Amino acid sequence: MAISSSTVEPPAPAHPGWQRHLTKLLQPFLLLAPSGLWLVMLLVVPTVLILELSLIPGFRLGQPAGGYGLGNYLQIFQIVYLQVVLRSLYFATGATIACLLLGFPVAYWIAIKAPKRWRNLLLVGFILPLWTSSLLRAYAWITILRPSGLLNSLLGAIGLPGQDWLYRSPAVLIGMAYSFLPYMVLILYASLEKLDRRLLEAAADLGATPQQAFWKITVPQTLPGIAAGGLLVFIASLGDFVVPDLLGPPSMTLSRLIYDQFLRFRNWGFGSSLSLILIFAVSVAIALLIKYGDRNAAQS
Amino acid sequence: MPPTNLRNSRLLHRASLGSATSRRHFLQFSAAALSGVALSNCARNLSNAGSSPASSPTNSTANKTLHIYTWANYTDDELLRGFQDRTGIQVVVDTFDSNETMLTKMQGGGGKAYSIIYPSDYMVEKMIADEMVAPLDQSRLQGTDRWLPQWQDPVYDPGNAHSMPVVWGTTGLIFDPGRVSDPIKGWDYIWQNVDQLSRRITLINDVREVMGATLKYLGYSLNSTKPAEIEAAYNELLKLKPAIASFITNGWEDQLASGDLTVSMAYSQDAIYLIEESPNLQYIVPETGSSLWTDTMVIPKTAPNVDAAYEWLNYMLDPENSAKMVERLKIATPNEAAFEKLPTNLQQDQNLFPSKAILAKSEGIAPVPQAITDLYERYWTQLTSS
Amino acid sequence: MNIAPSAAKPSFSWQFVVTLLMYGFMYIPILILAFYSFNAERFSANWGGFSLRWYVSLLNDSRIQSALLDSLRVAFTAVAVSAVLGTMMAVGLAKYRFPGKGLYRGISYLPLIIPDIAIAVATLVFLVSIGLSLNIWTIIAAHIVFCLAYIAVVVSTRLTGLNPHLEEAALDLGATPLQAFMKVLLPELMPAIFSGCLLAFVLSMDDLLIASFTAGDGANTLPMEIFSRVKTGVKPDINALSVILILVSGFLAFLSEYIRFRSERRRFRQ
Repeated sequence: MAISSSTVEPPAPAHPGWQRHLTKLLQPFLLLAPSGLWLVMLLVVPTVLILELSLIPGFRLGQPAGGYGLGNYLQIFQIVYLQVVLRSLYFATGATIACLLLGFPVAYWIAIKAPKRWRNLLLVGFILPLWTSSLLRAYAWITILRPSGLLNSLLGAIGLPGQDWLYRSPAVLIGMAYSFLPYMVLILYASLEKLDRRLLEAAADLGATPQQAFWKITVPQTLPGIAAGGLLVFIASLGDFVVPDLLGPPSMTLSRLIYDQFLRFRNWGFGSSLSLILIFAVSVAIALLIKYGDRNAAQS
Repeated sequence: MPPTNLRNSRLLHRASLGSATSRRHFLQFSAAALSGVALSNCARNLSNAGSSPASSPTNSTANKTLHIYTWANYTDDELLRGFQDRTGIQVVVDTFDSNETMLTKMQGGGGKAYSIIYPSDYMVEKMIADEMVAPLDQSRLQGTDRWLPQWQDPVYDPGNAHSMPVVWGTTGLIFDPGRVSDPIKGWDYIWQNVDQLSRRITLINDVREVMGATLKYLGYSLNSTKPAEIEAAYNELLKLKPAIASFITNGWEDQLASGDLTVSMAYSQDAIYLIEESPNLQYIVPETGSSLWTDTMVIPKTAPNVDAAYEWLNYMLDPENSAKMVERLKIATPNEAAFEKLPTNLQQDQNLFPSKAILAKSEGIAPVPQAITDLYERYWTQLTSS
Repeated sequence: MNIAPSAAKPSFSWQFVVTLLMYGFMYIPILILAFYSFNAERFSANWGGFSLRWYVSLLNDSRIQSALLDSLRVAFTAVAVSAVLGTMMAVGLAKYRFPGKGLYRGISYLPLIIPDIAIAVATLVFLVSIGLSLNIWTIIAAHIVFCLAYIAVVVSTRLTGLNPHLEEAALDLGATPLQAFMKVLLPELMPAIFSGCLLAFVLSMDDLLIASFTAGDGANTLPMEIFSRVKTGVKPDINALSVILILVSGFLAFLSEYIRFRSERRRFRQ
């Protein structure tokens, strides 16, 4: 392996030259090999293994394997499984939009309007719920959303009709938005904090209304943050298992289907192909972000 | 197998010979894996999973503990403490919520700690066929001669040679009679009221139970192997889909008691357990018949602590102890000697020990050929995916 | 700085109202859990009066305690190993150029991107195919993968803002590479390593899927235990547990924030 230090060669070593040279060669190897080995062994090789399994139609744990083929992927193109993929994408997109709409005002207020010395505290306060079990937080929504729950008591108290959201799509969207909102706020905050306020001043001086300043300056300036936050929430909710499983309809999402195929029906072939489809969807999202981000950078 | 892999597969084959769990093998495999040739043999290794012989005996401290893999609500602290007082062995209980999950764990190599597992009847038969459970040494067991008639020579395990029945019951419906329009007699109520029951019923998270109940509703056998009948059951269940809130075996109790759910499909013992706390609820076995299940205790071939496992079997076979367990946990015992020790009100409890008339209408879930199992599971996956 | 017209009346802007609502949104579920943890009644639908019985039952619950212990064991071991490996990786990636560096870096980001369920099933397939029996160590091995990735990312961001000449100067002054690393670089990286570890620790403590797939031999982490209880009917002692968890984690969060604040102030002074 040809390794070169990225910094300038320092003058006159204090040690004998060959020893210094050896350590210089060994150092990067010692630093990078252990984690590299670990990642290859427990991430790369396993991923290649599920790629292989996905190419054995109907492969089951504990049963003789058949020949290779594309049967597992063809199975995904049956209507029911396409529905699962679309349903997962729908939930992920909905949760992303909800997090953006709900998270932006919060991040904006904390980053720009709140008193400076309170900002860190306000931010920590907002993401504090992340520190408790995500399972229990999702579970708490059952108590709120069930027909006799808190939501309907409140709606009833102000004279509105009760909502039957539990075990339907709204419960999944609420649960996912709840789970991932803190991440969105965190990323948007980091982006808004860096916003150059002199631009806003200039806009105000030139007679722009706050709305105009917001749409012409704040949003374009924080677009990378919006994109990054959106991507993070999208990926997280696409792969989320807990919320759809606890709050959702009895119709599968990708992660639940994979879970069942592996842990219950031992159809590891089909499960592997679903799992690769999930990885593929995430990769497409990232590729879109990179492309979008580049164009954005080129424009500015 | 594609020809390009042949060269590598031989290399790998050598690497994967020998004891499945030895460190040496692991290192060899890792070396092979790292050099990028891991692929072709993966499938073969997985195909053989679960049938590998028992790992080397575990260390001596393990003899003081017994790991049990069972259903929720089959043990309580008193039961475990009683065992520890008697034998000095500490029991660690892990639970599963479906036979399939348990099987995966055992086959996947995650169950090597367990010396006792509690598969249901049809799963016992499958596990015996797959050579996963050890035959029982009857000479080490006391009190195996007093079974209620059905369990003296059960179909799933002739002569109880590999398994000891421990809990039995029916599958039925639990609901609050005050909240339903007509008294519920059977499955037809749900199909007739799909519109009113939108997201108000739960079904057990088990392929064979749910498909079996639907087959029964249609007048077929619980263990149908005819693809046309199975498809008909699947189509009936599709019609039911809008009414289903969730497929859960347990966990509906809270919402059923509060009225957020109207009807739940439940195992009798879970229903009885809840009715103890909420007496306004009622449990019925559908009049078209239902499944009659038996959960058993077996010793897996990989059991690290066989002695403790026999101690546990004998402890559970003890009529005195068994009867107390029935009273506390409200689970029906197939042990006649224990049954005789029960107070009359429990002996006559129709939910706990259903009448002969109900039993006559019911069937046990039996294993079906692999192709039919695949068919059941495919329809189930489609049902839960749609 | 008083510029934007709305800045004159900050407390009544609509963003403030939304923010307030969102704080409510974040905390209401937790308050509900807390509320019902004091409920004497078994079913959370009814209020049966104030009671500490679920806290008492939690203290006597050996399963929860052993699950908590397993979780802590997994998290501490995985984070400790990852702190060393992840820091080494970040330093190595920052200092050296070598062929395939881009690929290496790309792979190191994968655990942050690939959904848990995909990592979990792949790891299970790998472990089963090499015939390794599953136990608590397989959970730890799987957790190290994502822990080291997160720690490396956090440390990397700190490294990019660091003066590279400090270490060079130490080397020139006759320090061995190890000394230079330990005395110069490591102290500078400590806050980043700490916050990376904290993040990895929280993620490890909260992981359900990877642990469920790689657990065996009776190893049972807290999220696994909670999930199985949620699936088999929850008693309010689980609510009590969540109240205790959020109090502890709230304390930890503020502690970490405090440490970050201090380190930033120190950096500012330099």
